Amino acid sequence: MVPVANYLILSAVLFTIGVLGVLIRRNAIVIFMSIEIMLNAANLAFIALADAKGSLAGQVFVFFVLAVAAAEVAVGLAIIVAISRQQGTIDVDEINLLKW
Amino acid sequence: MEAFFWVVAIPATVSAVGVVMMRDTVYSALLLVVHLLAVAVLFVLLNAQLIAAVQVVVYAGAIMVLFLFVIMMLGLGRGEGVKEKLPLQRPVALLFGGAMAILLGVVMSQTTIQPVAGALTPGDVLAMGGNTQVVGRLLFSDYLLAFEVTSILLLVAIIGAVVLAKRRL
Amino acid sequence: MPEDYLPILIYFLIAVGFALAGIATSHLLSFLFVRRRAAKDKLIPYESGMLPQGPARRRFHVQFYLVAVLFILFDIEIVFLFPWAVVFRELQILGLIEMGLFILVLFLGLIYVWKKGALEWE
Repeated sequence: MVPVANYLILSAVLFTIGVLGVLIRRNAIVIFMSIEIMLNAANLAFIALADAKGSLAGQVFVFFVLAVAAAEVAVGLAIIVAISRQQGTIDVDEINLLKW
Repeated sequence: MEAFFWVVAIPATVSAVGVVMMRDTVYSALLLVVHLLAVAVLFVLLNAQLIAAVQVVVYAGAIMVLFLFVIMMLGLGRGEGVKEKLPLQRPVALLFGGAMAILLGVVMSQTTIQPVAGALTPGDVLAMGGNTQVVGRLLFSDYLLAFEVTSILLLVAIIGAVVLAKRRL
Repeated sequence: MPEDYLPILIYFLIAVGFALAGIATSHLLSFLFVRRRAAKDKLIPYESGMLPQGPARRRFHVQFYLVAVLFILFDIEIVFLFPWAVVFRELQILGLIEMGLFILVLFLGLIYVWKKGALEWE
């Protein structure tokens, strides 16, 4: 059997990749995809612990995370489309609505 | 099994790095599909068959199509400008990201995980009807409130998407 | 059990192998038999076929987006129906009420979408 620590460390690595994507990239869509990677890393940790602890509550939780992710993507991408229409760019450094 | 973990974990990591590194957003999106499918395989290895199927249907199927849609809709070459507005952003991000990775790695590898009281082995789950049945029973009894609240979340998302994306309300 | 997924793994490997073998064979055959001669018509995607109209990555209309978003949100509703469908006999009448409430709330969303005319093609 693969030790659960392997899955947890993989999840940590994936989460870090997602964080770096959010911090480094400036394209709003890529930042959004990095957030999806982070959500997936969290899901992986949930499922790994559900398996190690022998409790399926972790899997139920991932179910809700997936539902939240879908709602987030639907609204978030709509916001990106709206910003792109209004500002003509999706570079997050260019989007500074508060400093008109 | 040990070897198979690496066969899946390495592509999952490499494709995640690719999503972040690629210049072309379409390649990022396609690599994200690879990443999500690899994670779905890991879910199967961890005896979460229902979640793996949902991952493929919802994430790799529907959400990624929406991502590609938006990329195609906004057109290409409108990603990010060449000039960096915050010059130290990249090194500082790498520094703090690396620190977080080390912190998470140490915590994750140091923690000992004890099975809960009444822990279910995969065999027990199979005897209770299978993964989908057991998750379904939990979902519609212990987590009923969260399930019903999810419907309101989805309702809000529907209204939000219509308000934001529709030209004339 | 993860071992039960071996057929899917084999299927996946065959699918990938088929795609790769197709590309490799086509390259090999063209390498062996094709005489290379520069011609403008050789550079179009479908030689002797239809002429391509515009770039492959053309921009989609925003109207499609709304339909895709609504599809995803109702897709989630369907995903919640799967685990419900396998246990709804045990849940008895309570299960029906639970799911009825869930669908009712999303049905309100459908009515909203309908009333706003988001399903109409502008």
